[in-house]
Amino acid sequence: MAAKERKIRVLIGKVGFDPHDRGILILSHGLRNAGMEVIFLGKFQTAEEVVASAIEEHADVIALSDHCGVMRLIAKDVTDLLKENKATDISVVAGGIIPEEDISLLEEMGVTGNYGMGTPMEEIVNHIVERVNDRDEKSRLKAAS
Amino acid sequence: MGNDTIDYDRNYGALIRDKTQSNISVKPVYGPEDLPGLDYKRDLGNPGEAPFTRGTYPEMYRKALWLKSFIVCYATPEETNKAFKRYIAAGQTGLRVLTDTATLSGVDPDHPLARYDIMCNGNPTFALTEYETMLDGISLENIDYESANSTPSGSFFTYIYLVSLMEKRGSDISRLRGTNINDPIHAFIVYGTPEFPPDLARKVNQDLIEFGIKNTPNYHPCTPCGYDMRDAGISSVQEMAFIMGNALQYYGDAIRERGVKFDDFKPMVFSMSSESDFFETIAKFRATRRLWAKLAKERLGATKPRNMACRIGIRTAGNSIYPQKPINNTARITMQILAAVLGGVQAIDPSGIDETFGLPSQESRIFELDLQHIIAHEANVPLTADPLGGSYYVEWLTNKLEEETARLLEEIDDQGGMWECLKSGWLQKQFDMTTTEIQNEINACKRLIVGANAFKGDDGEISKAIVDGAYKVPPDEKRFGAITRVKELRKSRDQKRVTRSLKALAQAVREDQNVVRPTMEAAKVYATLGEMVGTIRLAKGLPYDPYERIPTPEFLKGVL
Repeated sequence: MAAKERKIRVLIGKVGFDPHDRGILILSHGLRNAGMEVIFLGKFQTAEEVVASAIEEHADVIALSDHCGVMRLIAKDVTDLLKENKATDISVVAGGIIPEEDISLLEEMGVTGNYGMGTPMEEIVNHIVERVNDRDEKSRLKAAS
Repeated sequence: MGNDTIDYDRNYGALIRDKTQSNISVKPVYGPEDLPGLDYKRDLGNPGEAPFTRGTYPEMYRKALWLKSFIVCYATPEETNKAFKRYIAAGQTGLRVLTDTATLSGVDPDHPLARYDIMCNGNPTFALTEYETMLDGISLENIDYESANSTPSGSFFTYIYLVSLMEKRGSDISRLRGTNINDPIHAFIVYGTPEFPPDLARKVNQDLIEFGIKNTPNYHPCTPCGYDMRDAGISSVQEMAFIMGNALQYYGDAIRERGVKFDDFKPMVFSMSSESDFFETIAKFRATRRLWAKLAKERLGATKPRNMACRIGIRTAGNSIYPQKPINNTARITMQILAAVLGGVQAIDPSGIDETFGLPSQESRIFELDLQHIIAHEANVPLTADPLGGSYYVEWLTNKLEEETARLLEEIDDQGGMWECLKSGWLQKQFDMTTTEIQNEINACKRLIVGANAFKGDDGEISKAIVDGAYKVPPDEKRFGAITRVKELRKSRDQKRVTRSLKALAQAVREDQNVVRPTMEAAKVYATLGEMVGTIRLAKGLPYDPYERIPTPEFLKGVL
């Protein structure tokens, strides 16, 4: 793992009316313990608000959480808005209750992880670090060429 | 040696813990020395006698089995109605409904935040029309109807719709039976919806208790909910202390401020969680009954034994249901239901084996009913009351849980009750502390979860079938149909009557009258949920939309 000068910044986004927040509480603790900075806006946000804050806060990653089985709708709006705002350098990961058949759809949108209950925190942390490193690697290659 | 040789370990899968799920240290064996001074009559009593440790009723399940009651929450009112009828025919005896998250949050389907999860987790009951369809052909005069909606507005409007529907049908509302959670303190912690801020939520909670005892005396207007809190990750002791603390707060307020008598209510009902720790769960139900008998008498002035007793309705622990190797969930639910029956509860609402993949399938619901029929008729578990009474370990654990809960309740009292504990942030800290502690233990494999952090393995055909079978929400076009329906309703209803009724509701709020009756009148002429919540808020000087994203509708601007 390459040493980073700056801490990885993760913005946790809860879009819509899903009230379940145990997952994001556990995630926040886990990511902070792993040395990341966590920004949480609270529940009941729109996709627009999540994306605007992620840009403003210079987040590396947006972590979306949903337990209503509609991650595909939330992720679609969030990824579309990131494209519109030319902010696709922000990676999107997701977790909660995600229907099996939606996972390939989410991955096509570039939304990865898609974790369910009981996923070891280490796995999530490693995944986020990997996505940020991948992005940094790509931008270095791009700059070099 | 060939490649197919495996290492044999006699101790593979050996115990790693010496504590219960709530981290109570346990010795390898218990005996009479662990129960010094145990007095049968004082500490246990026969079932049906104070302090009710051994059960609420003398004959327990010989006379009446627990209610088999689970949440029915399909996307449309038509589907929900059909499902209710199918389940009643298969042995469901308590109807329980949960709506979608927008409804729980106090808004209509056309609210801009609602579009994502509209119709997920249940049907959007945005107006009385939806209850008319959902409960078509089901009498409300002879059925137990329980509300799973437990946000401040969710509890309140479930009651409003039920009694309004009964009056419209010409039924006698005094015959309504069942329970309403109406526990706003727990809702602030678990749901955090802002539609009724604490002072308003406190008034609505009291209005419902006061109206309920006068007009629907067979219905429980306030049944503190430990289940939701427990599922958010607290301990047994915290669950017990918080429900009893909440009950003392709400009923104490009603006695002081509304002049009601605790003896006039039906016995207290608590909603609790049946957890994976088998003996701790059993002891928890026994300790809850014993401690409550004392509190009801000493703190709320109960004079009749009936009012010192409590009934317990449980849901099996939703957060114990895992997506890894889902067939294992059948074992978890079976153990949790068995613990509830051995603990002498009055209502059981099981999780679905498939509920981490979607809403439970109808087959999974029928399995849950059959599981209870098997416990009753094949395993003969309910034949005799409190079969574990007198077990050294169970009695010791019952004492231990009661002592620790009484201590935590003292801490709550010292702070001035549960509303104060909520406002000061103490309550939230209690949750954060325990949730983090448990999660750290899971991460460090000091607490094993089969399939998740231990005994992992691949999913096979059976697992795949469970995943595929889970109920899927309808296609988006159908879901967004609720938006069309609410818009059409607003066009087709008698708008003058709606405006008049909302004006009267606002007036009642301003004059600090009981809001139940005026809200019922508005519901009966098809004011929508969002409009009724918004009107109550406006009259309190709050913005119409709790989420501050939509403006006050034009027609309300003139009248308020």
